[in-house]
Amino acid sequence: MSENTELMKYVATTCPYCGVGCTLNLVVNNGRLVGVEPNQRSPINEGKLCPKGVTCWEHVHSPDRLTAPLIKKNGKFEEATWDEALDLVAKNFKTIYDKNGPKGLGFQTSCRTVNEDCYIFQKFARVAFKTNNVDNCARICHGPSVAGLSLSFGSGAATNGFEDALNADLILVWGSNAVEAHPLAGRRIAQAKKKGIPIIAVDPRYTMTARLADTYVRFNPSTHIALANSMMYWIIKEGLEDKKFIQERVNGFDELKKTVENYADAESIHGVPLDVVKDMAFRYAKAKNAVIIYCLGITELTTGTDNVRSMGNLALLTGNVGREGVGVNPLRGQNNVQGACDMGAYPNVYSGYQKCEVAENRAKMEKAWGITDLPDWYGATLVEQIKQCGEEIKGMYILGLNPVVTYPDSNLVKKQLERLDFLVIQDIFFTESCEYADVILPGACFAEKDGTFTSGERRINRVRKAVNPPGQAHEDIWIITELAKKMGLKGFDLPTAKDVWDDMRAVTPSMFGATYEKLERPESVCWPCPTEDHPGTPILHREKFATADGKGNLFGIEYRPPAEVADAEYPFTLMTGRLIFHYHSRTQTGRAVDLHREVPESYAQINVEDANRLGIKNGEYIKLKSRRGETTTLARVTDEVGPGVVYMTMHFADGVNNLTNTALDPMSKMPELKHCAIAIEKAGGN
Amino acid sequence: MAAKGDMVYAWAKDAEIQKKGECGGAVTALLKHALESKMVDAVIAIKKGKDLYDAVPVVITNPEELIQTAGSLHCGTLLIPKLIKKYLNGAKDKKYAVTCKGCDAMAFYELAKRNHINLDNIIMIGVNCGGSVSPVAARKMIKEKFEVDPDKVTKEEIDKGQFIIEFEGGHKGIKIDDLEEEGYGRRSNCRRCKMKVPRQADIAAGNWGVIGDKAGKATFLEICSEKGANLVNDAQSKGVLETSPADPKGIEIRGKVERAMLKLGDEWRHRDFDGLGKGKDRLKMMMEESSKCVKCYSCIEACPICYCVECSTKKPWFVAPGVLPTSFMFHLIRFAHVSDSCINCGQCEELCPMEIPNALFMHSQQVEIEKMFGHVPGRDMTPPIHALVEEKAERARLDATGTDSIFTNIFADE
Repeated sequence: MSENTELMKYVATTCPYCGVGCTLNLVVNNGRLVGVEPNQRSPINEGKLCPKGVTCWEHVHSPDRLTAPLIKKNGKFEEATWDEALDLVAKNFKTIYDKNGPKGLGFQTSCRTVNEDCYIFQKFARVAFKTNNVDNCARICHGPSVAGLSLSFGSGAATNGFEDALNADLILVWGSNAVEAHPLAGRRIAQAKKKGIPIIAVDPRYTMTARLADTYVRFNPSTHIALANSMMYWIIKEGLEDKKFIQERVNGFDELKKTVENYADAESIHGVPLDVVKDMAFRYAKAKNAVIIYCLGITELTTGTDNVRSMGNLALLTGNVGREGVGVNPLRGQNNVQGACDMGAYPNVYSGYQKCEVAENRAKMEKAWGITDLPDWYGATLVEQIKQCGEEIKGMYILGLNPVVTYPDSNLVKKQLERLDFLVIQDIFFTESCEYADVILPGACFAEKDGTFTSGERRINRVRKAVNPPGQAHEDIWIITELAKKMGLKGFDLPTAKDVWDDMRAVTPSMFGATYEKLERPESVCWPCPTEDHPGTPILHREKFATADGKGNLFGIEYRPPAEVADAEYPFTLMTGRLIFHYHSRTQTGRAVDLHREVPESYAQINVEDANRLGIKNGEYIKLKSRRGETTTLARVTDEVGPGVVYMTMHFADGVNNLTNTALDPMSKMPELKHCAIAIEKAGGN
Repeated sequence: MAAKGDMVYAWAKDAEIQKKGECGGAVTALLKHALESKMVDAVIAIKKGKDLYDAVPVVITNPEELIQTAGSLHCGTLLIPKLIKKYLNGAKDKKYAVTCKGCDAMAFYELAKRNHINLDNIIMIGVNCGGSVSPVAARKMIKEKFEVDPDKVTKEEIDKGQFIIEFEGGHKGIKIDDLEEEGYGRRSNCRRCKMKVPRQADIAAGNWGVIGDKAGKATFLEICSEKGANLVNDAQSKGVLETSPADPKGIEIRGKVERAMLKLGDEWRHRDFDGLGKGKDRLKMMMEESSKCVKCYSCIEACPICYCVECSTKKPWFVAPGVLPTSFMFHLIRFAHVSDSCINCGQCEELCPMEIPNALFMHSQQVEIEKMFGHVPGRDMTPPIHALVEEKAERARLDATGTDSIFTNIFADE
């Protein structure tokens, strides 16, 4: 860092919020952040930012940042030195490990923090405790994308970049409100509209993104498979499938064809009139280049992986993979949800998706890390770890997550965290979850560290340090490597982010060529980038798929209803989502003046007819109840949602996740965050 | 001795500045002299960031570092005065020398009128500007129209109606008219711009009109104020700047270039404003486009006219907070508050994440208002049509009346 009398110093870095990965300039005066200014040179966002991006600096110097390690003594947190705190963590983790073995500990990292933190965190878990109980919060947003796209295409990542939508002849946006959740990817859709590219938006809600579309298709919540199968039935019926592509590059056509035969007319399930289904199917199939953009509307369900595979089915059936203007693109939620998975903070893979079950992979990592006995088993996933608290799992290390607010069934989460013998939370603020911790370690926020975020288009974007962490807070790499050293581990002498990145590159073939030097360019690099002279890979699956036989896989998938559907007792379907003004549990956005002003408390959208019937007025408080809990919120009466459907955002404590269901997608262990049954009453009670 | 109104050719005496600077490095030499002679506390200029498409503003206090700002970057689309207001206390406590394009110069005056920049503490070194090209658009244009790898380009310039690049192994120029017909070229606000020679600055510098053996080796300086004359004279007397009288034929050519650019600006205005339609159609179009607004506030944050501490768009009775699509009232408030003084700097459009042509909308209104009331923003210190008040004092006065009645508040005293 240069001397701190400098004025108006610009530090180009990557926005800490969503997975678009916009570049922005932090402005530093005398060693303190004073604002954000546009970075017009960025090919990603050209200087443009959303309401969160422009305010992302505001929380950094908050007076309530964690500034010293805290140890809970007699139920109260007391400040401690780093030595005291880290010695205690090392001692207690070791005790639990000695008594309970590798499955006695759980490790969870945020997708908001840099790749380097995620990599060193999982390395620590695996080297110190020989455990695969390490996961990140991609599990509860795009876990099904990783699982589903891996099965369909052999790689769990988006096939094409955001800007590439402008090369399409048709854009199918499905279960994504990009304008609010990924605004600068939403901008590409707005640009496409100006260019005259037809847009079909498929969503139960008439969102800001649906408003951009020239065709808006409302369907019943969580009936994706039935709708996609119906489209495919008609595509095949009319002979519009890409026969050459299927013959040369795809397995499983017969199985798919047989399955979709039952879906000629599935309106009774998905609620879309047959002529609309046909029109949508034919337009998608006939477009020379058509891209599917989807998001959590597809994934956060117990059918998540199958929903994703249905998107893969549509693209493979029509030959829409492997070139400009096509593909299947999940809009990754968090800034580093792609990267956290890429780094191997995942219970069954090392960095670059090298499977732990493969003996050669284990041998390679053991050699690189100088250890033995890495486990081959599939570790416990995020929500599984919560469910195992007090049973198999006795100790947990949580880096930058706020499970009490963001995981499903908040009441269960609180109960389970209380059952732990020892909980360490590393964060920048005292979150709702910190109450349950035994030790709290103050980390550094995005503006206080170097590193990288990997965006939803697999672009590895640089994060650059602008200011120092407050008080005794430290960069997270320092915390984890110090802890490792206290435990006497080797291979943690990695003081800088670049050192950690190079440690990762050395064991990760798909990212070996992505050197920090190359990442300095505003264009940066999209992985795979296997060698140092490789330019990176903006578009996947050009010649062949990343599967074992190089072919894409079609799957015959039957529609299954959600785990809990509306009934007489809980007659409404609750959907959840995000809004543009906040990010997740608002730890950061709640501290931005304007974002808090826009939306200071939670609300639920309820259809006009339902509201009239129940005598609910716009702006009054209502109580929502599910089998798991209840919450009080403001009613927004609207026709943006259909009758029988309620929509609520996930940003507020004791909010929507008091209601949500922990039922899991069997393939990806995704909880059913986007669908459960609720009852509504006026807050006054009855 | 140079005086206000004089026109001279000038160049740096220092060999390195002469070499690295544009057209003999007179601007860099003047900035360096202003700093060295303690005429100013710091210089605010643009330096090259990651590459020649990346323009980064920088505050320099060490004269030796000034060399990094030498040379011109046509992909810089920044507006410096608002940065001075936001991050440098509006130059209220320090003196700065600043390089400025036409839009920068205009923004200085508008911010100064509103008491957000102290112009007494600013030396404006204006530079002629035919328009700027956004960095990503420039790279795309170079790749697609020039068929050159943008990373191989070593220099770009706009000269004689052409966009010219030099690259490893050659140079290439294409007529801007042709590029812009195909949707490439300058930002849309730059096309409509008619502030090509910023004479409201202290010095207006440029390469137009430098002819004969001085072509490419000297900068044309038009001295526009006594402050500007002092700087030139002082720099000359200390031996850092050399000058010769401008060639009368050069002066004539400079006028011709300027007139041609102004004519082009008029043509684009016709074209862009006609494209908006008329009357209710225009309103409908504006309402439709602006319904995409996601309230990022970039248009307001970057606007050199917006300065209110309490922005009316944040009053819940005007614009419901947290509700999308954003009410049209949000944009009506901006139109009402800004349009009489809009300088068409383009920031509101360039930074809009939803591609709303904000600058076009506002500029179209400004030219209508200018026709009606004859007020030209950004040229001098003439107050705008709207009454100017000290925000805090006026809000206190209105509060004290105890009513929101317009009659009581505005007219009762009269």
